Amino acid sequence: MEGGEQVTEKNLEIEKKPVNMNNNEDEQEILSPWKMFVRKFKKNKVSIVGLIILIIMILSALLAPILTPYDPYEMDYSKINEPPSKEHWLGTDEVGRDYLTRILYGGRVSMKVGLFAVIIEIIIGALIGGLAGYYGGWVDNILMRFSEIVMSFPFLPLAITISAVIGTKVEPQRRMYIVMMIIGFLSWPGLARMVRGQILSLREQEFVQAAKALGIRDSKIILRHLIPNTVGYIIVSATLGMAGAIMSESGLSFLGLGVTPPTPTWGNLIQNAREVYILRNRMWLWLPPGVCIFLAVMSINLLGDGLRDAIDPKSK
Amino acid sequence: MDKLLEVKDLKTYFYTDDGIVKAVDGVNFSVESGKTIGIVGESGCGKSVTAMSILRLIPDPPGKIVNGEVLFDGKDLTKVSEEELRHIRGNDISVIFQEPMTSLNPVFTVGYQIMEALMLHQKLSEEEAKKKAIEMIKLVGIPRADKIVDEYPHQLSGGMRQRVMIAMALSCQPKLLIADEPTTALDVTIQAQILELMNELKNKLNTSIMLITHDLGVVAEMSDHVIVMYSGKVVEDAPVDELFKNPRHPYTIGLMNSIPSLIEEGQRLESIKGAVPNPLYLPKGCYFYPRCKFATDECRSGQPKLREIAPGHKVSCFRAEEVTK
Repeated sequence: MEGGEQVTEKNLEIEKKPVNMNNNEDEQEILSPWKMFVRKFKKNKVSIVGLIILIIMILSALLAPILTPYDPYEMDYSKINEPPSKEHWLGTDEVGRDYLTRILYGGRVSMKVGLFAVIIEIIIGALIGGLAGYYGGWVDNILMRFSEIVMSFPFLPLAITISAVIGTKVEPQRRMYIVMMIIGFLSWPGLARMVRGQILSLREQEFVQAAKALGIRDSKIILRHLIPNTVGYIIVSATLGMAGAIMSESGLSFLGLGVTPPTPTWGNLIQNAREVYILRNRMWLWLPPGVCIFLAVMSINLLGDGLRDAIDPKSK
Repeated sequence: MDKLLEVKDLKTYFYTDDGIVKAVDGVNFSVESGKTIGIVGESGCGKSVTAMSILRLIPDPPGKIVNGEVLFDGKDLTKVSEEELRHIRGNDISVIFQEPMTSLNPVFTVGYQIMEALMLHQKLSEEEAKKKAIEMIKLVGIPRADKIVDEYPHQLSGGMRQRVMIAMALSCQPKLLIADEPTTALDVTIQAQILELMNELKNKLNTSIMLITHDLGVVAEMSDHVIVMYSGKVVEDAPVDELFKNPRHPYTIGLMNSIPSLIEEGQRLESIKGAVPNPLYLPKGCYFYPRCKFATDECRSGQPKLREIAPGHKVSCFRAEEVTK
């Protein structure tokens, strides 16, 4: 009898230990989705490079007034078309403005246009996708057909037409807002479709019914409960969308239909390359802004790819 | 006793491409305040749809409440405006769902999800709501409540999540709690704890409970009154003691015979032969007759009505008097 009791006591002790260990592990080892995401993202070296390049570009655009002593609009007719020198690292343009300063400020405008175009895209896309996905039925039908119509417009001809019609009535300083809106209002359908798809599957989950049973109104269910669940996908699509928006802005500005001088953007700075003489003899006027567009778009795309891989639970 | 909830001739149909599914077909019952009513039946017999119809949470389309009254505190919930209903949902009537794993929103802390209803219905400030949320989490027996409040659902176990669901459902001190198979997804020890907790809270807060389950043991433990449903109809309606002592519907008897007994030994469990009929092609007569041992020609042609055979004990069977265990 005594032996038996001892055995059970020992068993109890053995049982107790692993239970405690498990508890400790639980407290330390549970990773929030955010931490898992950061951990995965850090493993992707290429995306980290993209992130670093992007941060440098954003910082240099933001800190432009500190980084350069010149004003992007100040003309100096005694120094026209100078090649790169100590005072003007990237030379000057045809009216004597410091070119590096123009590129830094141009980056500001280009990235701002990209950013706000994407914000417009997200707001419209998430809202329309959310409504269509949540209500389904005829609401879904109308909204999705509408987005298909928007999607099937050829982007460039439409953007050029709108820009030509509205753009002429707006002062040059404000044209950048027109460009943001053109790009934003034409690029949301892709995002809307994706959000709709996500919400179609999310709304079948019980927490949506639970939220309804708590008496929470539909608008709040869509905005507070459903869309935050798709935020990962929205971020990824927004980063990739921003690269596209910067490209579109550059394209439009290059054609003279986007942001027009004197406001500098990377796109209209490359315009210089349209003259064969400059293309051949003054490389510093078109190569640097071109490189900037290339670096910005590439780094954003690398970052976006990394984000997508980090968010996708199935990727390793 | 006064009736808190009275469901009269409720009919909820689903209009599918294949035809009309009569998920709930003329159900009558009532819930008295401070009491527990159990709704029992196999899967697919309309228990959950009945519960969801009360709060009009049926997806429409395809579902539709085509007939009936749901009187709650004198108001007909099938007729009140969406706005008014929102004030009742979560505040006067709240629901505990089957699946604790998917009933919480993964992107919010559990505290926030409890606070949301409090801020909405009780108009509490964020701070007050948080205090109350911690209080509720303590009440449902989760340790470290002040920490759990800031944790996300994936950090909790199934039992804890179900407790959080209960805390959520009870936070506004509802008059009626609809528990839709609250313990089905949990293991047995946690089941017992959760049921005990619900009972305790019922006594403390004087909440009525509508308990939906297919587990007769749970019903015997928890309910004051039981209704047995089959194919969208109530087949038996009785106080819990009466039902277990003196079941009168062959289906109820079948359900009881399929529970393992602790007293008798060594016998095979009986099962009810066949399955719940396809709701699109219900038999012409009594819906249960194809599976019924006692079926006669009368059962094949005509549908029995719910009739009172003893005080408070209603059965819908032609041969209720002859049927025995």
